[in-house]
Amino acid sequence: MNRIRAQAWREHLFLLPVLSFVLLIFAYPYIRTFLLAFYNVSFGARESYFVGLGNFQALLRDLDFWSAIGRSFTWAAGNLLVQMTVPIGIALLLNRRMRGIHLARALVMLPWIVPSAAIAVCLRWMLLPRIGMINQILLNTGLMDREMHFLGSSATAMPTLILINSWKFLPFGTLLILSALQSIPESVFESAAVDGARGFQMFRYITFPLLGSMIWFVGFVAFAWNFNIFDLIWLTTQGGPGSATETLPVLIYRTAFRTFRLGEASAMAVFVAILLLIVGIVYFRVLTPKK
Amino acid sequence: MNSLTAKRVNNLIALMVIIVVLLLLIWPFFYIFVSSFKPLREIMARAVFFPVEATWGNYETLLFARTPVRDFPRFLLNSLLVSLATTALSLTVASISGYGIARGKRLKSGLLSRLLLLFYVFPTIVLLIPIHGMFTSVGLYDNLWSLVIVYTAMIAPFCTWLLVSFFENIPKDLEESASLEGASLFRIFIRIILPLAAPGLVAAGAYAFITSWGEYLFALLLIGSSLKRTAPLGLATFTAEQYIEWGPLLAGSILIMVPVFLLFLPVSGYFIKGFTAGAVKE
Repeated sequence: MNRIRAQAWREHLFLLPVLSFVLLIFAYPYIRTFLLAFYNVSFGARESYFVGLGNFQALLRDLDFWSAIGRSFTWAAGNLLVQMTVPIGIALLLNRRMRGIHLARALVMLPWIVPSAAIAVCLRWMLLPRIGMINQILLNTGLMDREMHFLGSSATAMPTLILINSWKFLPFGTLLILSALQSIPESVFESAAVDGARGFQMFRYITFPLLGSMIWFVGFVAFAWNFNIFDLIWLTTQGGPGSATETLPVLIYRTAFRTFRLGEASAMAVFVAILLLIVGIVYFRVLTPKK
Repeated sequence: MNSLTAKRVNNLIALMVIIVVLLLLIWPFFYIFVSSFKPLREIMARAVFFPVEATWGNYETLLFARTPVRDFPRFLLNSLLVSLATTALSLTVASISGYGIARGKRLKSGLLSRLLLLFYVFPTIVLLIPIHGMFTSVGLYDNLWSLVIVYTAMIAPFCTWLLVSFFENIPKDLEESASLEGASLFRIFIRIILPLAAPGLVAAGAYAFITSWGEYLFALLLIGSSLKRTAPLGLATFTAEQYIEWGPLLAGSILIMVPVFLLFLPVSGYFIKGFTAGAVKE
């Protein structure tokens, strides 16, 4: 009995290296944020005092906060619309054996591995009216009839950023779907073909149902990923024009490190963490189809 | 015969569709690359795809017209140091813990090891204030090591699980026979396990390097002085002022992207394989 316990201890010792980093950088700060949310702290000040639920009460009255929540959900929904559909198409396309397919798979990954900062600054230039290539292409192909200031007008800034962000996520979604596709045995398709399934029928009745759980998994990963996006927004619009693209991470960063209201920012962060926890539970318990 | 031609036509169509999709997805990189050789007046004029009078000017400005505040080679060097240190530390941490999980059945199904990945779905923004406070109070604010620590925490859990699937494929007999010959666990780990898991280490290492090379938010949070900026942070300073210098910005973006491409393309096979191996099992 003791020997088994000793061995279990030794096994757990292996986890120590990675666990110590995770505890230090994730677990401890979570607890700390939770505590800070009940204090009035301003940046650099030594003094902080307990305000109980004061920060949360202030949040309830804070219209900026509520509209940021709304924008974060618009942001998440818009992104998911692209991220849960397009990768399926690309994965189907790349799921075949032919020469050069490995190169194609590698090239598809590029948007995902490239640093956001470089993407953000270059696309700002490419999206400018008059001198930007994207305006030029859309005008030349007749998809647009006048110059647009994509990131500079509040109507187009959010959809534009959603497209950029989704483009950056596509490789990751594609990779996950592709891995699910490759785990489907060839024989399944062959026997379906013998039964006369063709093209779209094959996809609708065979491939899609078998991909089911992976598509939901991609949706969840994408949701969490999108919700966290800060750099792309901060380096293109800083939440503007006005506050058209100010999602929760941008608002929290601004509140904490630009206006130095740490207590309120912590309360926002706690609120966001709880909100996401609820979304996660609903997603897995209620929405995800059972096997 | 007929079905063979049909298959060939089919493949040809697929190939063409793949090429079109690839072009749609990655033309911006090519456009940014050729544009980084355009002189300012071409960059600020109506867009034309290729430079008319190609020039090294943007790169020269970026690399040689250095000021203490705008020292791009220094930014690149900072990023390189941080990424190399993060990669080394992440691989060390992840290979020890990954090996433990691969060999301990209780660990693999255990709550604690699953918990590692859970942190990926929590919002990072929640961590910012305490992490800032923590590093300030121990005197590591504005120190590149603080970034190495944070990045390792972000990267190591994923690398750990990535390596688990590689360690599991190594037959246990190998270890047992080495152990009968009197080799210590440490020796077995270094001499037998790690070399056999080399493809996994390459994939995990590439992931670690690429992720830490491009990270922006924590660099913004933890670095204060201009000499310690990492490349993404340094790049952003070119847009901070009223007048945006698009030329050096494009050149700088290329210099940030190229190492990532060069590192990724040769190992992409391992990378994709390691990634999918982990994903399918879950």
